[in-house]
Amino acid sequence: MNPALKESRSRREFRNEVYLEYGAADFHDVCCSLVKDHRALLRLMFGTDERLRDGSFRIYAVFSIPGQDRFLIPVLQLGDKESSFPSITSEVPAAQWYEREISDMFGLSPEGHPDTRRLVFHEAFPAGSHPLRKDWSITDEEKAVWGEGRKINVPHPFMEVAGEGIVQIPVGPVHAGVIEPGHFRFSAIGETIFFLEPRLFYTHKGTEKHFESFGFSDGVRLAERVSGTDSFSHGVAYCMAVERMMGIEITEKAAAVRTLGMELERLYNHIGDIGFLCAGTALAVGYAKGAVIREELQCLNERLTGSRYLRGVNAVGGVTTDMLEHADDLLRTLDSVTVEYKSMMKLLLSSVSHVERLENTGKLSRDIAARLGVTGVAARASGLADDVRKSHPHLLYDRMIFEAHTLEKGDVLARMLIRGEEAECSISMVHELLESSYRGGLTVAVKRPEAYASALGYVESPRGSLFYWVMSDKEGKPFRVKLRTPSYCNWPAVPFAVHGNIVPDFPLCNKSFNLSYSGCDR
Amino acid sequence: MEYLQLFIIILFSPLVNGVIKKVKANMQGRTGPGVLQPYYDLLRLLRKDMVISRVTSWIFSVTPYVVFASVTAAALFVPVLTTRTAFGVKGDVIALIYVFALGRFFLALAGLDAGTAFGGEGSSREMTVAILVEPMMMLALFTAAITAGSTNIASISGAHRALSSPSHLLALSALVIAIIAETGRVPVDNPDTHLELTMIHEGMILEYSGRYLALMEWAHYIKQMILFTVVVDIFVPVGIAQTAGFSGMTVPAVSYAVKMTVLAVLMAAVESTRAKVRFFQLPSILGGAFVLAFLALVTHIMMGK
Repeated sequence: MNPALKESRSRREFRNEVYLEYGAADFHDVCCSLVKDHRALLRLMFGTDERLRDGSFRIYAVFSIPGQDRFLIPVLQLGDKESSFPSITSEVPAAQWYEREISDMFGLSPEGHPDTRRLVFHEAFPAGSHPLRKDWSITDEEKAVWGEGRKINVPHPFMEVAGEGIVQIPVGPVHAGVIEPGHFRFSAIGETIFFLEPRLFYTHKGTEKHFESFGFSDGVRLAERVSGTDSFSHGVAYCMAVERMMGIEITEKAAAVRTLGMELERLYNHIGDIGFLCAGTALAVGYAKGAVIREELQCLNERLTGSRYLRGVNAVGGVTTDMLEHADDLLRTLDSVTVEYKSMMKLLLSSVSHVERLENTGKLSRDIAARLGVTGVAARASGLADDVRKSHPHLLYDRMIFEAHTLEKGDVLARMLIRGEEAECSISMVHELLESSYRGGLTVAVKRPEAYASALGYVESPRGSLFYWVMSDKEGKPFRVKLRTPSYCNWPAVPFAVHGNIVPDFPLCNKSFNLSYSGCDR
Repeated sequence: MEYLQLFIIILFSPLVNGVIKKVKANMQGRTGPGVLQPYYDLLRLLRKDMVISRVTSWIFSVTPYVVFASVTAAALFVPVLTTRTAFGVKGDVIALIYVFALGRFFLALAGLDAGTAFGGEGSSREMTVAILVEPMMMLALFTAAITAGSTNIASISGAHRALSSPSHLLALSALVIAIIAETGRVPVDNPDTHLELTMIHEGMILEYSGRYLALMEWAHYIKQMILFTVVVDIFVPVGIAQTAGFSGMTVPAVSYAVKMTVLAVLMAAVESTRAKVRFFQLPSILGGAFVLAFLALVTHIMMGK
């Protein structure tokens, strides 16, 4: 059951979270051995500035081991004079962005990391400025320069491929359509993509820092606005983390409403995404059909909750409305959606020209997906059976009938088919939820958390696993809120999926991952 | 009348595009903008200021005029209501193809001129498609020309041999595919896309705005209508007048309008039911069409009609 790990300095168990504190060398070895010897998945990794508490920085790496509903969390304690920690990226590639972000946010540099450029901050952000340090401040002058975005304080050289016939194609951050900003640097040979380097974090809003200025109960509103189409998932994950930290249990009814919302969100996202893929292949009819069904589902959301994105339902301690009361409306809409959805899938799968474009396009191999810690639909389409609903059951998922669908091929078609299967599964889960009645009221009373209490919250959002980790300060206010979106895990996999494809197929590959820029950049 | 035909094409070409868009929208279950929308768009663009990149040269500013002039000149070759055209005996299919090539040449240069990635991509792709389409189009038109014993569009049309033989049917199919490629429609290109990495024609004109863009768009509509007109002139010349002057133009006008509408609906149907093919698979589709055109010629020689 318990992997044989090195003796830790201290060990703390809290629900399914096991915190093990180590020194620098041991931390590195333990993390590497968890991945190598126990096939553990790196779920998230983050830093905290706990100098006010006991004079140290800490780095947490959250792993889960397949088949166990437990999170093993090696913690590295660093003194306030230390400015670096041993990087695990060479052995655990999934850690690459986390470590760079820790370096940006806390000024703790990962020693031995192959890529020491900044990740989140662009050139104009002042050097040596680390916003998640508790004593961080920025002068008005620096702010003006930063806002202007022109001055280069820290250069960011792109990785370039040189050679005969290789051309660089810079794309974005401003695009021809109304899409979020991201810069893509292609190195192509003719039309074939040889190398792609995305530059993201144009929409970095300092969300994690913002959470520290809210109360825990108000933070839900911010969490719901991190990424539009994942609003409900963010709400649930955040509330779950805060509730666990406070030590309160939500009622069965609240859990049922949250489960229902999760599946409704998955449904409108998956069907919409299948439709959006048609924009990449210029199959206008399929695109229109997807948009119509998605619209029906979002109108349903509005009738149920007053919000097309299911916002305002979650609150710390439970939910604000009982969506289950609208069972008739739900069933009626779902019945018509099911019929339309089936006819759309039939149309798409019988269109030879559409399927032909999706097959063998944007292949992501199982090995790379596993090493980069890819999550959600992209992972399952590449043969990794990773679904937080199964591996770490929460809400009512332990008693629901569903499967974590997987396919082996890892191409755009596989990702589309996985979405299709999951959408059908979501429909049947909503039916299942509406069959029984649930005990309890909508909310339970909120408690004041203990000083420096912390907990994880996690859900399987439509895009993949979504994690929140919250910690209270000694007054019971937010001390640190870390959030890890599925898009953050999956972006680094996109360059591997598009390698060898042609430039005009990039939008199609990209769309099939359906990553949120806002969610990734935060 | 023969000079008026030019204005029929220039004035009605946005309408043809409006009809295609409307039919496409209806096929997608949308109401869609009215059929006059292209006119409003052109008016709006003509009134707008232009944003021109500092790095562009004279090529960039000259191109809209060259492109517009080349399609207008091409419009003078084709019989619309009557086989008496403005250029008379000079109204030759080969000349038509080369006048288009002139416009295309400048368009591709202008795409490169601003030095953006998408312009260059668009130009390179456009030229790849052109290499495949031009010979095919020429071969298809030759088949019709041999039957009529003339490469003059008016004479071919006047010969009144509407779809009289299998070779004509083959040539017609090849020509329709050529037109889909030439007008930048699905499955070759997507005129409605906002995905700049997939663009061909739209990529080349991405840097244009205001008046120049209006000229480019309008020229594209005109080119599309000319190609449609060539198809009906050569393969279904039913109802076209043989005389100059205004008398007896009602039948030609009505039959022309009907034929244009049918072609517009056909284009919309093709666009709505197909997905765009992968760029590197274009040669197989266009190559297939080339074989059709070649077979048309062979059939004609073997069967003698």
